[in-house]
Formats: sequence, C-alpha cells, structure tokens
Amino acid sequence: MNTQPASRKRKSVSDRHAMTSAEAMIDMHGIVKRFKNAAGEFTVLKGVDLTINRGEFVSIVGKSGSGKSTLLNMITGIDHPTEGRVVIGSTDIYTNVTESQRSKWRGRNLGIVFQFFQLLPMLTLLENVMLPMDYAEMYDFDERPARALEMLKLVGLEAFAHKLPVLVSTGQQQLAAIARALACDPPLLVADEPTGNLDTKSADIIINLFEELARRGKTVVMVTHDPSLTSRTTRNIIIADGELINETVAKTLPWLRHRHMMEFSKLVEERTYQPNITIIPHNEHVEYFFMIRKGEVEVVLQDKKQNETVISRLNPGEFFGEMELLRGGKSIANVRAGSLAPVEVLTIKREDFKRVIDQSPITAEAIGKIVQERIEIHRAADSRKTKRTSKTVKTES
Amino acid sequence: MKPRWRKVLHDLIDNKGRTLLVVFSIAVGVFSIGVIAGAYQIISHDMSASYSANIPANIELRMANFNDDVLTSIHNQHGVSDAEGRRVVNMRVRVPGTEKWTTLDIVAFESFPKNAINLLTPVEGATVPKKREVMLEQDALKHVDAHVGEPLEFQLPDGSTKMLPVVGIVQDTAAGAGDFLASPFGYISTDTLEYLGQPKLYNRAYVTVKEGGDDIFHIREIGAQLKDKLEKNGTSVLRSRFFETHKHPLADTVNAVLGILMALGILIVFLSSSLIANTLSALLNQHLRHIGVIKLVGGQRAQIFRMYITLILAFGVLALMIAVPFGGIGAYQLALYMANKLNFGLLGYRIMPLPFFIQIAVGLLVPLIAGLAPVLNGSRITVLSALSGDLAEDEIKFEGGEKRLSWFDWMQVKVTSLLAARGIHIPRPFVISLRNTFRRKSRLALTLFTLTMGGAIFISVFNVRVTLHDYIGQIGKYFRADVTLDFDKPYRLDEVQRAVTNVNGVVKAEGWQFISGELLDEHDVVLENINVLSPPAKSTLIQPILVSGRWMQADDVRKLAVSEGALKYYPNLKADDNLTLKINGRKEIWQVIGIFKFVDREGVLAYAPYEYISHMNDLANQSSSFRVVTEQHDRAYQDAKAEELDKYFRDQGYKVRIAQAGSASLDTAVESLDILVVFLLIMAILTAVVGSMGLTGTMGMNVLERTREIGIMRAIGADDRAVMRTVIAEGIVIGSISFALAIILSIPFTYGLSYIVSVAVFQTPIAVVFTYLGYAIWLALVLVLSTIASILPARNAARLTIREVLAYE
Repeated sequence: MNTQPASRKRKSVSDRHAMTSAEAMIDMHGIVKRFKNAAGEFTVLKGVDLTINRGEFVSIVGKSGSGKSTLLNMITGIDHPTEGRVVIGSTDIYTNVTESQRSKWRGRNLGIVFQFFQLLPMLTLLENVMLPMDYAEMYDFDERPARALEMLKLVGLEAFAHKLPVLVSTGQQQLAAIARALACDPPLLVADEPTGNLDTKSADIIINLFEELARRGKTVVMVTHDPSLTSRTTRNIIIADGELINETVAKTLPWLRHRHMMEFSKLVEERTYQPNITIIPHNEHVEYFFMIRKGEVEVVLQDKKQNETVISRLNPGEFFGEMELLRGGKSIANVRAGSLAPVEVLTIKREDFKRVIDQSPITAEAIGKIVQERIEIHRAADSRKTKRTSKTVKTES
Repeated sequence: MKPRWRKVLHDLIDNKGRTLLVVFSIAVGVFSIGVIAGAYQIISHDMSASYSANIPANIELRMANFNDDVLTSIHNQHGVSDAEGRRVVNMRVRVPGTEKWTTLDIVAFESFPKNAINLLTPVEGATVPKKREVMLEQDALKHVDAHVGEPLEFQLPDGSTKMLPVVGIVQDTAAGAGDFLASPFGYISTDTLEYLGQPKLYNRAYVTVKEGGDDIFHIREIGAQLKDKLEKNGTSVLRSRFFETHKHPLADTVNAVLGILMALGILIVFLSSSLIANTLSALLNQHLRHIGVIKLVGGQRAQIFRMYITLILAFGVLALMIAVPFGGIGAYQLALYMANKLNFGLLGYRIMPLPFFIQIAVGLLVPLIAGLAPVLNGSRITVLSALSGDLAEDEIKFEGGEKRLSWFDWMQVKVTSLLAARGIHIPRPFVISLRNTFRRKSRLALTLFTLTMGGAIFISVFNVRVTLHDYIGQIGKYFRADVTLDFDKPYRLDEVQRAVTNVNGVVKAEGWQFISGELLDEHDVVLENINVLSPPAKSTLIQPILVSGRWMQADDVRKLAVSEGALKYYPNLKADDNLTLKINGRKEIWQVIGIFKFVDREGVLAYAPYEYISHMNDLANQSSSFRVVTEQHDRAYQDAKAEELDKYFRDQGYKVRIAQAGSASLDTAVESLDILVVFLLIMAILTAVVGSMGLTGTMGMNVLERTREIGIMRAIGADDRAVMRTVIAEGIVIGSISFALAIILSIPFTYGLSYIVSVAVFQTPIAVVFTYLGYAIWLALVLVLSTIASILPARNAARLTIREVLAYE
C-alpha cells in the first residue's frame, strides 16, 4: 500500500471544473456586485467564481435575498457586475460592450425565461416568438413565421399561435415564453424561477422540456428554490449571502443549513491522492473529515495475514472518516484511493467538523445513520472473514 | 406637517418632468386667454379713450375750395358745436438727394394753438410749425426717412420743388383712422400754402356736434343738413365721413378681430384642458398603488379626494405664477403693437382686473374640472384593484367567466393575421408601435383631439390667408389700371389720351368720373354715403365680381350697380329694385342693375357709366381722373411709369394732383391683412404647441407605463435604436392619424374662419380658396413634432436598465 502524502491546496470556495475553455459555456471570475441606495451600500455578490459547461443542466438555489437572481442577471447581461469578468461562450460580455451591444448579443446568444413569463401583451404568441428574430435579424424575414410556428409546435402550442397572451393559461404563457427563448436557437437558456407561478402539472411540463433541451445539447441554467426541481438537474449550485457554497460540501452534506455549508466551504482543504495511495491507515487516529470530490475511494479490511478485502467503494458526494470523529477511537479500516484514477477530496479538521455537526442535529442524525450502516457492513465483512479463516484452519489441521 | 400633505408635496416636486408638463399645460391656456382678454380690454378702453381725448371730428366734409364765410355758416348750423377748416393737399416729398418720392397729405391749419378738433399730440420737436416749416405725423416716418431739423423737398403742382425743414413730429389719432389706404400726413400753417403753390383756401371742414356725439344717425343727419345747405349755397361737397366721438372708426373691425382671437384663445384653453385631463389621468393611474395602500391603512375616499384636489390646485397655482405676469405683459405688448399699427395711444402698462380674474379662474377651475373625473375614479378604486392593477391595462372583458378581447383588439389581431395569410408580414416591432397606439383609447382620443384641432386650425389659417389674398386679388380686378393719374382740374379725354402715349411704355388711358351722394331710407333719413365711380361702360379696366344682376351699359340712365355694402341697409335688395339717393342736393330714384362684391371702406361703392355721369356732371368728354395702362404690369414698372407720367404732365403744365401705381392700394390692403393673418398664425401655432405638448405628454406617459415591456424587448435583443424606433414610430403613427383627421376637420374650419374673418374685415362673406401649402407645412411639422415629442421618452426608455424595469426579485 502506498502512503504517499496527498498533494494539498487550499480550497477555493467554489469548485471549478478543470475543463478546457472550449467546453465552458459560462465563465465567471471574481464577480462582485454592490448596490447603493438611501440606506447605504450593500454587497449582493461577494466575489463569485463559477464555470458552467456546455450541455449542463444547472440549478442555482438559494434563499430569498441570497443573490441568485442577481447572479443570473450577471450571466444574462441584464445587470452588470461592479467587479469581475463574465465570459459567455467566448464573449466577454461586459468589457468594452455597451448596453445596446449587449442587448443585441443577448438576442442572438441567449434565451431568457422569466418567472412571470414577460410576453408582450399586444403581440400574439406567434408574434412574440418572431420578435427576437426581428431584433437579431436572424433568418430571412419570410422564414420567421414558419420557424416561430415550429417553436410553438415544439412546446405544443401551435393551436394557440394567433392568440394574445391574455387569452391563454399561465402554463401556456410560460411555454410560449420558452418558445420565444428558443427562437434564435441560442446555445444557452437561462430561466429564473420558471415554474414559480405555475401549478404542479404545468411545472412538470416545463422541466421535462428543459431536460429535453439539455439532452439536445443546450446549456440550461435555472434559478429555483424548489427542491423537487433541483433533483432533476445535473448540477446544483447553492448560493448563500452572495457567495457560492462548495458543491462537494453541498452534495455530501445536504442536510446542513446553508450557513453551515458556507462555513465548511470556507474551511475545507483540497487534497489529491494518487491511485492506491492510503488516505487513512488502519488503526490510526483520524484527524479529518473527508468528502470525495472526484474519483473513487476504497474501504479495505486487512486480516492478520495482510489479506485485503474491499468492503465498500465510495464515490463523489460521499464521505468518510466520520466514524472515528464521532465515536472516537482509531480507524477500523484502511481507506485508500481507487486504483484507476487520482482521488480529489476535501477535508475538514476534526474540531471544525465536530463544532458544526453539534450545531446541526439533523446532520448529526443523518451521519449517525450512515455510520450505523457502515458498522453493520464492517461487522458483516469481518464475520465472513472469520468464517473463512476458521475454515482454512480446520482444513489445514 | 401631516404625512398625507407631505405626500402631496412630494408628488408635486418628485417628478419634475410631469409637474412641468401639467403646469405648462395649464399655463399655456391661462397665458393665451390672459393675452387676448387683456389686450381686448386695453384696446377697447384705450382706443376709444385715446381717440376721444383728441376731440375727433364727428363730420368731415371734403369740399371744393371755400373760405371763412362758408366755415362760419357751417359753424352756425343748428346742432354744430364747433367747426374748423383745413386745406388738405396731396404732395410728393422726398429727402433731398434721394430719388424716391413719397406722397403725403399735407394739412394746413389756420391756427395751431386754437386747434380744437382732431388735436395733435406732440412726439418730438416743435408743436407749432412756423411759416415755411412742416411737422410730420409719426406714421410718415415709416415712409420717408425724415428727421427733425432736416429739410424735406416738396414737389409743387407745376413740377418745381421747394424745401421745408421738418420741425416736429406729432401723433394724429384721427389720421387715417378707418382708412388703411390713406397717405401719411404732414402739417403746415396756412401761411405756408402760397409758398407751396396752393391757394389760401380751405377744402375740408371738420365739425363736432353739440349733442349725440355717439349717435351715428344723428351725426349723419347733421351732416346731411350741412351738405344740403352748402350745396344750396353753391359749395359742392365731394365726400363726407361721419365718426362717433367715443368710437374709433376701426373699433368694430379691431373688436371683431380680437373676438376671433378670443375664440381661438378659448379653444386653446379647451385644448389645454384635455391635455391636463390626460396628464392627470395618467398621474392618478400611476398612483393607484399609493391609493390602495392609503386605503389599506385606513384612508377614506374623501381624504384621498382632498389630497389630489389639493395637488391639482397646487399645479394651478404654480401655473398662475408663471402665466399671469407673462399674460399681462403679453396683453400689453399685443395692445401696443395694434396701437402702433392703428396709430392710437395707450394709457400705459397696467394689469386689467377682469382678465386678471379670468386668468385666475381659468388657472384654478380648468384643471379642477379636467382632473375631477380622474380624481373621482381614483379615489373610488378598491384596495384590491389598486394593489393588483397592471398600469398598462388592456381592455379585457369577462363574459361567462371567460376572457374576451375588445372588438378593437380582436380586429387588430385579425387584420394582421389576414395579411399574414396573404404573405404580407408586418415587422413585429412596427406591430408593437401600431398596437401600442391604440391601447389607451381615451388617452389617444384626447391626444388626437388636441393635435388634430391644432393641425386643423393651422391648415385653416393658411387657407384663410390664401382666401383673403385671393379676395384682394379679386378686388384688384376693380383696379386693373397700372397707373392712376389724377389732376386738380378736368382735361379733355382725347387730349390726355394722346399725351400719355408720349411716355414710353404707356399703352392707353381711360377717363373716369366720380360723384358722391347719400343713401336714404323710406323716410329720407341718410343711411350712408354712396360713392359712385364712373368708368366707361365697356371699360376693361374693371372686372366686377357680380353677385346678382348685370353690369352697367352705356345707355343706362340713373342706373347703377351697388356693392354688397348696401345690403346692410337693404337686406332684401336685388337687381331691378330702386334706391333713393341724394345726389348734388337732390333726391333721386336710381335703379339697381346689379350687386357686386367689394370692400367698402367709406360708404357704399357703386358704379354707373361714364357716359351718363359725365353728362350729369357737365363734363362730357372730360375727366380729372384717368386710368392708364402700361406695357408691363408689375409694381416696380408701375411705380416707374407713374413717376414718368407725373413728370411729363407737370412739365407740360398740367395740374397733376397724384400719379401712383395701380397696385399701391392693393399692396397696402394685403399688408394690413397679413398682420391679421400673422395674429391668426400665432394663435394657430399656440394650438399646435398645445397639441404637440399633448403628444409629448402622451408619449412620456406611454413609455413610463411600458417600462416593463421595454425591459422585455431589451432582454430579448432590442438595442437602443430598436427601442427608440418603436417609440418614435408610435409617435409618428399618432401624428399621421391626427394629420388625416386634420385634413377633414380643416374643411369646415376653413369655411368657418373665412366667414368670420371676412365678415369682420370686409363685412361680407367671401369665396373660400384652399391651398396645399398649409397641408404640406403641417404634415412636415406634425411628423417633426411627433418625432421630437417621442425622442425624449424614447431615449429615456432606451436608457433604462433592464434590471430596473424588470424588478421581480
């Protein structure tokens, strides 16, 4: 067993996929947004770094006032950051770009779906869908009606093409808004609480549509506070008080309150282990709580003859080291990096972990259940081993 | 201060643009009415006061030369208070060293200090000219560049010239009063007459009556008696004019013109009230949520009503603070301008009480009335409606629980769909502009009303101008001669006709004659002077505008064609009727052969054939007045030929009284009418301004209510230009609709305005003429104004950040 030390680096608050720029659809660096009003100045976004890749279906969640819509506004160019840089596709949308130019760019490259639909009341559904094509001067003038009708067919509204928005249901209005967002075939679709004003059935239709669009290669970013929707996205970004919570922390410890998640996000250290390297040796004190960000971790039991049995494999979004931290004692198994690829983990010191968990009984309970399950697995694995050893001894004698 | 009044104060000062719009809307109406009403009052009062202060003559008799004995007999006539004799001669003058001659009426006074009728008001220099000195009436300075202390060159009847120094400038309120065509005046003492080659005799008598100085019929009666007496004593009276003591001769015309302007001023108030209603309606609409919250926390309808009425009154007070002072100044300036034009004095700048109170009433009541409906509606709204209402409401009806569009919205969508089905697609941004135009129908209606009215009046003024000019042109057919050549004594027709051909460029001359008389009623009471012009029956130098009957023939005896002015006294007069006239002291019955249109100024005009009148006057084949035709007919040529004829005949020893261009009188008349047209145009521009303000306000309100939609447009790709185009297109659509409506409305307006103006000025309606010019100018103006009215709201719209307008978090 290799026990090479892990390479460490101080964590970043948010995760960033180490992808090439060619695959990144949205790239945000150091985004700060401050507002001034009569009461003074307040900072809504406090230095956000975020990368979203092409084809991802991402949800951005957060409490009211957390800054999620402001973050969305940064992406869509509806509002501009006080500091920082936003690159959509390959376009820096704020540097040397006027509001007017940004509007034009937005029409061609972005589709926006609003919570309150925001269809123009004086235009029919068909006309609403054609409007972005007129602004972006995309497609021949005579082709636009046919294309708009295609978009309405896609969302099942071709029969209502010549109706004004006020004469259709809210669900139909939102579908029409999606059709409008797709009018210029933009690579990126951004939706702010798209189901916030809809009944469950209509909401379901909308999310199904988004899933389909993501499958077809569109990047979909959706702000929502509905947990039933976040579970349907491929990636979930949580924002709290203007900062992004570490996705691994959020995924690993979903029961934590956002402020605890944020606390962990700021405390974590990032470590990388090469394949087969031991992370926690057997019978050693454990000083950290480990969360798996990337790669696979093996939990191995070793008998007296140094024979190893892998009793479980842990994947990204899972944790280890909790048993020892919560129950005390030394490690009951050997935990090592998987054999196929390096493992990236985030670690939290024992005292920090214990302090936060003590403040979150729900998390403590959930972790406790997992601990119990793992103990059972360990016991079961242990007893099978003992039986095999006995059998071997009997056979030898 | 209680919170509710703090809110009112905040509403007043928070949105400065809107406050300015409302205040200016009120102010323009208050200003207009203040200017017109104030000018009306000042002129009505001061015109008469100024005129009567100078003891105007009630009777002016133009006679053959007469002496003091005749004057004494006039003075002694029953009913006469005072009489003065003057000699008035036409003389040409010029500044020494210059070429241009100007004709003046030189009035010789027996005694300036004893002058008690038609008093002169000193303006500059001496008040009494000594022998061989001259004073000028201030109006003369517009025609001749003379200065006190400098000489003027006078042309005597024999063609020689004499110099007289100008020693003073005076104002003579009776000078040219009622006669736009009169020459400017100069004043000398009778001692100077011989120096100027004139006999020391009077030819004008100015008479004041003892009582009944404001009874024109009584004055005419005295005048008729005087005329009878004089003619019986062998002194012929060529012409007589009658004036009331306290009424300026032009008072009726000026009052009629001011009446027209007053009507337009009231219209401006009316238009501004619709503008105010529009703006206040939008204000209340924007405040619906405030009202909802106020009611939510316990505010009552009456309290809300009082708050907004107070706000409206505050707007009114602000408007009054601006408009009242400017209105007073404007009124005085307008009155001063008219006074200068009509040569009477004003009694000094002051604020007239009645117009002042009218302005206050208009400034407070008009916005209150205009705002009453919006405030009542706003204060009645329920909390639910107020707090959930969409600002840019569309007309949605509910029938049987289902939403239904208004038929108009349905039709718009249907038309677009039908066109699309035929392959005609309208760009969506323009569809937005078109449909936005009709979303707020009541606001659109008010805006169209003000803009259309402004346009219709603007166009009508141009049509009226052309109508007036055309009429003057028609009247010009009565003056087709190129030069009028008058002598102090009659000459043989053939002699003069031969002589004129010696002047290069002259084609021919025609001798005319003239008689004057009185028109009598069935009781032989003098109704009016009648002036009979007598060209040859076949003269081509006159093309009358016959209303009925026929023109004169050579063998007509005691037959005449009369102007429509006679209808004032004989409304049912027609051809073949008889009139009783007093000619040369004798009562005669004349038959009317026809009635024609003309601008009567001094009595009724009539035409009778030279062939008969010359025999009546014992001047067969003679005349002292000739009409000359030249080869070219433009004014400059006419002036040059008049000059040459004057010189030629004087050199030949003829007693030339005056030679002047045939167009001269017409040009003066046109100039006077253009002043009227300028006033009308100013009022038309004011109505157009109100209309434009209405459009600006409407576009501003529309943009304000649609900021969310503009944000949506920006969010889906509309850049600045696209947003601006949408807004400006909406403005232009409204302007275009108003233009189409203005075309229709301008027709009855043109007829109405033409009728009112022509009756006021000419005492007769005239044929209406339309011109494309007003339409073209208004089309250009309305498109420009629509664009300008939309640009600022459009720019504001384009500058809004999307986050501001889509605030949904």
